[in-house]
Amino acid sequence: MNIRDTITTINELQAAGVIGSYAIGGAVGATFYLEPITTLDVDVFVAFRTEPGQLVSLRPIYDYLTARGCVVEGEYVVIAGWPVQFLPAGSSLVEEAIDQAVEHNVDGTPVRVFTSEHLAAIALQVGRAKDKARLLQFNEAGALDADRFQSIIQRHKLVDHWRRFERQFLGDQP
Amino acid sequence: MNFDLTRVLESKRAYRRQLAARPLREKLEMLDALRARAIDIQRAAASSHLKADAVGEAPGTYGTGGPR
Repeated sequence: MNIRDTITTINELQAAGVIGSYAIGGAVGATFYLEPITTLDVDVFVAFRTEPGQLVSLRPIYDYLTARGCVVEGEYVVIAGWPVQFLPAGSSLVEEAIDQAVEHNVDGTPVRVFTSEHLAAIALQVGRAKDKARLLQFNEAGALDADRFQSIIQRHKLVDHWRRFERQFLGDQP
Repeated sequence: MNFDLTRVLESKRAYRRQLAARPLREKLEMLDALRARAIDIQRAAASSHLKADAVGEAPGTYGTGGPR
């Protein structure tokens, strides 16, 4: 199990033209800005080029990877021991997050990751307990550019979500 | 012995900041180790009277309109 090998394979998938732009999100993406967060899988968001009304097919990805020894398990492909889920951009926020993702370098291995502000905005939008916890981590760590974050949540109509979150969790910090 | 919650919380924050500042390579290695530990715990829970999914929640939707 080695997540750097997983990232290398995803880069190869892109270099082979099977996928276009991609960016890592979820807990693995957050780990680029925060302390490491326990997770069981890797979320890879992909900008699929489809015609209006055309369904996104993951088959080319699965075909490429299974030909190289990866195994499909339900909605995941196991790459270097890590279950990876390839996700299409299901909202304008995620589309923008993929478009504006930043490239990090892990000892010579490039990897595209959502910005911390987009990760936080997506956490706000998804809104599960663990997403709220992650949002608190971003806030506490000072990992967000406030102007940039505000601009994103205004653009994607999440200001009310943020106000509610502030009232609920940031009103009385020690 | 004094129990100073403020100092405890500040100490935790400082440790988390220290972890966050580690090189990316190290943090990714920690992810590998954390996942291996989580799998061990799941297996142990599954083989005991504890349910592996005792603590669970709905998957995220990421704006796709349904569970992932």
